[in-house]
Amino acid sequence: MSNNHLKSVFESSTYLARRKRNEALLSDAGVYGPAFEHDACGVGFVASIDGKPRRAVVDAAIEALQAIWHRGAVDADGMTGDGAGIHIEIPRDFFIEHIARTGHDDDGGRLAVGMVFLPRTDFDAQERCRCIVEQEILADGHSIYGWRQVPVDVTALGDKASATRPEIEQIMFSMPADLSEADAERSLYVVRRRIEKAVIAELISDFYICSLSSRSIIYKGMFLAEQVTAFFPDLNDQRFVSSFAVYHQRYSTNTMPTWKLAQPFRVLAHNGEINTIRGNQNWMTCHEDRMASDMFGDAVEDLKPVIAKGSSDSAALDAVFELMCHGGRDLPMVKTMMIPEAVDVSADSDLAKLYAYCNAVMEPWDGPAAIAAYANDWVIGGMDRNGLRPMRYTVTSDGLLIAGSETGMVVVPDTRVVERGRLGPGEMIGVNLASGELLKDRDLKQAMIKRRDWGKWIGRSRQMDSILAKSSGKTPDRIPAADARRRQFMAGWTMEDMELILQPMAETGKEAVGSMGDDTPLAVLSNRYRGLHHFFRQNFSQVTNPPIDSLRERHVMTLRTRLGNLGNILDEAAEQCDHLLLQSPMLTVPEWAAMSAYLGKSAALIDCTFDVDVEDGSDSFTEALGRIAMEAEEAVRSGCEHVMLSDRATSHTRAPLPMILATGAVHSHLVRQQLRTFASVNVATGECLDVHHFAVLIGVGATTVNAYVAEEAIAERHERGLLPKLTLPEAVANYRKAVEDGLLKIMSKMGISVLSSYRGGYNFEALGLSRSLVAQFFPPMTSRVSGLGLTGIAARVTEMHHEAYASEDIYLPVGGFFRYRRSGERHAFDGQIIHAMQNACDTGSYESWKKYSRMVNEQGPVNLRDLLDFKTGGTSVAIENVQSITSIRQRLVSPGISLGALSPEAHETLSVAMNRIGAKSDSGEGGEDPARFRLRENGDNASSAIKQIASGRFGVTAEYLNNCKEIEIKVAQGAKPGEGGQLPGIKVNALIARLRHSTPGVTLISPPPHHDIYSIEDLAQLIYDLKQINPDAKVCVKLVASTGIGTIAAGVAKAKADTILVSGHGGGTGASPQSSIKHAGLPWEMGLSEVHQVLTMNDLRSKVVLRTDGGLKTGRDVVMAAMLGADEYGIGTSALIAMGCIMVRQCHSNTCPVGVCTQRDDLRAKFEGTPEKVVQLFTHIAEEVREILASLGFTSLEQIIGRTDLLSQVSRGDAALDDLDLNPILVQVEGGDAGVSARDMPRTEVPDTLDALMVEDASTALEHGAKMQLSYNVENTQRAIGTRLSSHIVRRFGMTGLREDHISVRLRGSAGQSMGAFATQGLRLDVIGDANDYVGKGLSGGTIVVRPSAAASFIAHENTIIGNTVLYGATSGKLFAAGQAGERFCVRNSGATAIVEGAGTNACEYMTGGTVVILGEVGNNFGAGMTGGMAFIYDAAGSFIDCANPDSLEINRISSAHWAAKLKALVIEHQRQTDSALASRLLNEWDTELPKFWQVVPTEIVPMLEHPISDDHTGDGAAESA
Amino acid sequence: MTSKMLQFVSTGKAMPNKRKAENRVADFDEIYDEFDVTSAEQQAGRCSQCGVPFCQINCPLHNNIPDWLMLTAEGRLEEAYRLSSQTNNMPEICGRICPQDRLCEGSCVIEKGFESVTIGAVEKHITETAFEQGWVKPVSPSVERAESVGIIGAGPAGMAAAEMLRQKGYQVTIYDRYDRAGGLLIYGIPGFKLEKHVVERRQKLLEDGGVTFKLNTDIGVDVSFEEIRAAHDAVLVATGVYKARDIAAPGVGLGGIVPALDYLTASNRKSLGDEVPLFDCGALNAEGKDVVVIGGGDTAMDCVRTAIRQKAKSVSCLYRRDRANMPGSQREVANAEEEGVEFKWLSAPQAFIGETDVRAVQAQRIHLGQPDATGRQVPQVIEGSSHELPADLVIKALGFDPEDMPKMFGHDDLTVTKWGTLTINWQTMMTSLPGVFAAGDIVRGASLVVWGVRDGRDAAEQIDQWIVAGATSAVASAASA
Repeated sequence: MSNNHLKSVFESSTYLARRKRNEALLSDAGVYGPAFEHDACGVGFVASIDGKPRRAVVDAAIEALQAIWHRGAVDADGMTGDGAGIHIEIPRDFFIEHIARTGHDDDGGRLAVGMVFLPRTDFDAQERCRCIVEQEILADGHSIYGWRQVPVDVTALGDKASATRPEIEQIMFSMPADLSEADAERSLYVVRRRIEKAVIAELISDFYICSLSSRSIIYKGMFLAEQVTAFFPDLNDQRFVSSFAVYHQRYSTNTMPTWKLAQPFRVLAHNGEINTIRGNQNWMTCHEDRMASDMFGDAVEDLKPVIAKGSSDSAALDAVFELMCHGGRDLPMVKTMMIPEAVDVSADSDLAKLYAYCNAVMEPWDGPAAIAAYANDWVIGGMDRNGLRPMRYTVTSDGLLIAGSETGMVVVPDTRVVERGRLGPGEMIGVNLASGELLKDRDLKQAMIKRRDWGKWIGRSRQMDSILAKSSGKTPDRIPAADARRRQFMAGWTMEDMELILQPMAETGKEAVGSMGDDTPLAVLSNRYRGLHHFFRQNFSQVTNPPIDSLRERHVMTLRTRLGNLGNILDEAAEQCDHLLLQSPMLTVPEWAAMSAYLGKSAALIDCTFDVDVEDGSDSFTEALGRIAMEAEEAVRSGCEHVMLSDRATSHTRAPLPMILATGAVHSHLVRQQLRTFASVNVATGECLDVHHFAVLIGVGATTVNAYVAEEAIAERHERGLLPKLTLPEAVANYRKAVEDGLLKIMSKMGISVLSSYRGGYNFEALGLSRSLVAQFFPPMTSRVSGLGLTGIAARVTEMHHEAYASEDIYLPVGGFFRYRRSGERHAFDGQIIHAMQNACDTGSYESWKKYSRMVNEQGPVNLRDLLDFKTGGTSVAIENVQSITSIRQRLVSPGISLGALSPEAHETLSVAMNRIGAKSDSGEGGEDPARFRLRENGDNASSAIKQIASGRFGVTAEYLNNCKEIEIKVAQGAKPGEGGQLPGIKVNALIARLRHSTPGVTLISPPPHHDIYSIEDLAQLIYDLKQINPDAKVCVKLVASTGIGTIAAGVAKAKADTILVSGHGGGTGASPQSSIKHAGLPWEMGLSEVHQVLTMNDLRSKVVLRTDGGLKTGRDVVMAAMLGADEYGIGTSALIAMGCIMVRQCHSNTCPVGVCTQRDDLRAKFEGTPEKVVQLFTHIAEEVREILASLGFTSLEQIIGRTDLLSQVSRGDAALDDLDLNPILVQVEGGDAGVSARDMPRTEVPDTLDALMVEDASTALEHGAKMQLSYNVENTQRAIGTRLSSHIVRRFGMTGLREDHISVRLRGSAGQSMGAFATQGLRLDVIGDANDYVGKGLSGGTIVVRPSAAASFIAHENTIIGNTVLYGATSGKLFAAGQAGERFCVRNSGATAIVEGAGTNACEYMTGGTVVILGEVGNNFGAGMTGGMAFIYDAAGSFIDCANPDSLEINRISSAHWAAKLKALVIEHQRQTDSALASRLLNEWDTELPKFWQVVPTEIVPMLEHPISDDHTGDGAAESA
Repeated sequence: MTSKMLQFVSTGKAMPNKRKAENRVADFDEIYDEFDVTSAEQQAGRCSQCGVPFCQINCPLHNNIPDWLMLTAEGRLEEAYRLSSQTNNMPEICGRICPQDRLCEGSCVIEKGFESVTIGAVEKHITETAFEQGWVKPVSPSVERAESVGIIGAGPAGMAAAEMLRQKGYQVTIYDRYDRAGGLLIYGIPGFKLEKHVVERRQKLLEDGGVTFKLNTDIGVDVSFEEIRAAHDAVLVATGVYKARDIAAPGVGLGGIVPALDYLTASNRKSLGDEVPLFDCGALNAEGKDVVVIGGGDTAMDCVRTAIRQKAKSVSCLYRRDRANMPGSQREVANAEEEGVEFKWLSAPQAFIGETDVRAVQAQRIHLGQPDATGRQVPQVIEGSSHELPADLVIKALGFDPEDMPKMFGHDDLTVTKWGTLTINWQTMMTSLPGVFAAGDIVRGASLVVWGVRDGRDAAEQIDQWIVAGATSAVASAASA
């Protein structure tokens, strides 16, 4: 009914016109573009193992599509899906019939069919497209039968999908019968590319070829997956038979229905995201220069560009897959090359050599990826190196391989199952349809290993180590101290940089850590010299793809750098391995010298300095840039393979060009000249000091970097004895390690594992650089607000040079960038401002507050908003008419600061204060004392209204989640987006340990990603789970401002979040690397405005509350935030200051002298904050908001939300800037649904699951506490079973009110994701069948049993029974599963007991408590970052030791009667619960099997165990050699 | 780095050894020993290395305190000295006599409950070590300039300005009416706070750096102000304030009632070995007398402690407010008490009793009333609280006012404020006379040495800019002419 109502008002032509105008508007402003789109989804394939076509394959695929709707998303109109489709063989009989209808006869040739989207409304264009298609097909020598209009049922579409629907037709034609299939397909590939280019040349949009093939055809569109047969009735035709079917359901972050982005693509269907897409695309452009193949001949030119403009990451991936497949490689090899597994290629194994070759050809396409692909007789499923997406498969007794994102999508009774498995990281499974073979990962790779002598090929590479060893040992002379200091001075270095940044790197090999947010001006707003790297903000991944833990998952990452020209990617030849191989892109001074000597004439040294004495300095600066680009070009054209850029020639007459600019100039010039793949670009620079600078140089194209002045500074400090106990090479090695770890960290933020894919990827946002400069030197980047240009840079560099040489003794300034110094950079919170604010909050004097806020406003621009002001001219209203202070205060929030960072006193003071004014405080990560959930005697409420759930899941229990109004999913944090955290053991006292379910004194690690959010549909699932466990709370998703955040936010809104929080880069932290605090993330002004506009354009704005935070201080800031689109406003640092914080910035040291941010008892006693002071802060801010509203003529905040038209830019920054243009953040889309507030609306509900029925059926138990047993059949679409029931239990009986198994639920079938999430004590879930990902997520005391049916014929422990990320963040309870678990089993478990019969990679990662028994093999990286709990592994194969990450673990055979007894008891219980055959056997042969077990205990807790791990008290008797 | 810092949580505050009261009252030597290297490092390591260092913010010179504390803790004293001397021309003097408890140390964030870092003592340690090691060098300008600057007054402001100007290559002459340079540093402040060789050392450094001192030169008497102006491209007036404030009470004209500065100067001169008849005759010698000092500032503290050392029979200090509200340093009060001074808080003199010479002070008790507009509580006399204190030497330490500058300099165009201080443009530090600048107490009224140094530095910067601008415009006008 509601749909009919919508249809009556939906006016498709006006909608489309408005949409197009808005898209253009936002894309001009740089806040919207197809490249920002992310998608993720359900994916899978079905294959008939003998390669014979059958209808059952097509039926199974259609069935599967109908069971993955929950992995897709629905648009605001409630009907438009994000796309779905199916790729199958061409049913020849079916088409012959249609050919006959066109009046043609089957001419006996190869039948080929093209599935084509034509412009629907523009008949002229439609006709021209048909002509182009026909011309190109005819030109290639084929005969056309005719066009067929594909029957479709438009009622299966939503309004927007309907409005954008193309005309869908098939062109049927005949190819020569003698053409081989491979040749036919290759020529059709070329034909299709020609057609596409011809259509683009005619400026026709909305044309797209789904498939053009003599073999297969793709049916896809913007419908919901379950509507596939309704929309395309063709598919119901029984003549549609196929040997394979690849299917896909899409979930897009954006909501403009884009028909061509529906999947499957021509080769693959992809679930995931390519994190390295920017680098891959840039390098692909370079590779095209050398691309050649006998197979294509001259036609190769028609294939360029391989990746069409505006492609999504998946479409780009597909385009290259397709090219490589047609270029002669088979599908498994293409997958191996493009999406390699994580293998240390320097190892001496056959597999390593295969991958070493693959590395030499092409940069990996890295990121979460489960792919289902079909090409050249192969159908395969494949997984990325991290195994970040699920792929489960079933082999049936009737010869089908069914694989997909979930188990149970195609119902196969246990009796027909031969095998149930899963793909691990980097793995593949495939069917060779021609030979009729099913091949597992090992078989596929063995075949490839055997194909060539890869080892011999790889042997042609040279290693840096050997070159260094052979070099004469001659290193360049030391730079004289005064000269070095001048260079440092020119680069803007200060004493602070040397002491705070360089010293720890050289001394400890680690990057410096700091705390609290960045409150210095953006580089473009600063009036001091700031290095060019300050204008580059690091990108990071959030929601749609996960960052990586570069410390705990180091094995998947590599910095290996190959030097030398890149070959032809279509080739397969030994010459491709002629490279110089380096372990990392950082070269020390001796290495640079050795390499230069080794390379000899193949390297060209280019001087990157310019003459400062020329009359007009800026000219010579620009000329120098042009000169170096030309010199590089000439060198490469004359055969040089290495360009060496150096600024060593700096002198009193010559100043260094900023090396980032020089690198960008050379790299972009060589790319434009199509020469980049012919040479490496190496830089030796005096300015480079910190990790971020290295990252920028590499990100803009440098192959290697040599920071010789930094090294000189280390040498000088070493001479002065400042690096005691270290030799100079050790100190330099430390520095190098810090740089390398830092690079890994910066890459990992983007989810990028491999440096070669990061290099030249421009994974930055330029903030404050002139648009034209960026376009010229860093072309793929955008610079939204423009800013500093060449003239300005030249002037600043020249001035620094002048100062550096002005006097004989030059000393570095003291600094002030990280910590305030009078002579240094401005800080928004300086001493006077802190005092003024505290005074206003202590006294409650509004006069004092106004004094404070005047000081803030007059301190000069720090943030973008400081360049804006309110437009005056409206009629002011009397302040009495403006909404009350109380109602304004309710929109204010104190953002998430964990207990752990804050002292309990400070944390509770915030909650009490916010509750008193009816506003919200946020618990932060780390749990909350349940005692705070009850009112205090004086009526105060210390329970935070918002409970945060972060990646560590510390203290996240069913009870915690049921005691709040809102649950906030912290996806990223402003001070360190894309990074995890660590609470050092010294801060984990008894209270913290109790709340976090861990051991006092033991370090706690928060992973960089949520391990149940690798993708947007995962986020939707978590939101679903949270809305089940708390039936009332709204769900908020916290993001950090970045380019493309608007598109991500649209996806988040579609995932049914109620609130979206946009944090700015200035947000606080208890501890983060300094480079992250300073250089990652964007100002909230940019993020907020982008989110508001993109949501409005997509009609999603009214569905969510928008909140922002990050350095808001005054009423003026709040009103600005409102005008830029926020409904609610978070004020964190200021709230801390009101409580007494004085920005000592030693939160990470646990020595806060005012007791705010410390856990030391003596320091906590110093805390003098009170709720009254905090209330006073928020009251002052609200009062100020009222004043401003009154002066502008408004009576409520509601009236100005999103009204950017009320703002105007009043300053364009420094006069030296080219232009600083804030219009892109003031842009406003037309129409849309702004103006409706979601604040007052109930939360967006999610569909019910089985629990709706279960709660009803269990009413006796819930009302009277009677014991009950329930029984149901389940399907994979029923998710989070038991979660809603657990909410009822915990609200009625508390966490431990019911005894175990009080309500017992028996389920038959394949349970959907998150089965038993947050299940509480008293609930028992007993699954007969299997289950998907996230079983027992956040388990809070419940019992879960999963086992196959007794009738199953397969061997349970050899098969997968539960999916990935099981028991993530579990705090208590039990799990028994008679079968294997997927990847990341028991990650962050802090108390549950679990027994399974095998597990994938990364099991027990970050575990802090609980007991895990694994009766079988485990995957790699077991127990990484595990600091608590215990695990027992049954290792019959003897492979465990190789799989464990021993960094934090003690691994021993069992040598204590106590622990042996405990283990046996657990195995007995497992046998009793699951009837496990394996457990029975083990128990029967216990005495001979026990020695095959390992006991794994984290080293840190060994001394704290109640029972020693060995009965041999004489010493370390437990250790048995592994 | 941090491993050596943030030690306040485990290391207690310790000052350098202070000589026992009974020993130190026997002479006029400084009462604090030097830190030894270990304790200086330990104490410097107590610094919290704040993100917002309030010690620096509240230091008139904005010394980079956390940084040189860190360098000291790490045993990098030469770097510490270089850094410390970049913002301060006489750190060893500030380290000794600054009221740190009201400035840097009073702002130290660990002060609350942990007691502040001993910043002054570390500062002294750094600079004394620098002198010992020969790191302290006379200024040596890289270029000599032809222009000259005359500075009137060889106190902290004048000396600081002289060094800064000399550094830039100017020819600098300092004039002072006294026979020694240093101003109050030499004659005002007693040796037990600042030994005189420390001041002389600075004077010598300046002389070695090319600064000319013309002592015994009273402007307006020995040489006219206009002559000075004519002789130099710019003039800095840094004369200080010397006119003692008096008290209006019956009997104030009696013998034995003396101004503080006369008393202190006599004592200092005596220590320097000069002939001082008024001391020798006993008029300015407290020995064997009942001494009453009136006032609560640092000068009063200097007087009482000098009197103790002169072996007075009794020494008491009369101040109308209470201990918490006195302007002087709390640390000095504590030192004075240890040495045997009796403080009469909330007491004000009503009359001086005696025939020709004073015999006693009649005093009244005071009650502190409501705060006034400045926030200070107003003293109110308690009726009927009169009482007598025996006194045969009364020292008036009630503060100082400027002398009549226009009259002294014979220049009516030199404008002054209602308090008699010179009016200047605070941006340019220039007085009403072109090319005549002013700095220090003569601008601010009686204030701290550290403010004098700050003003001297600021004035030097402004004088340089003014001269350079003048030269540029002269060239420009010459070119256009």
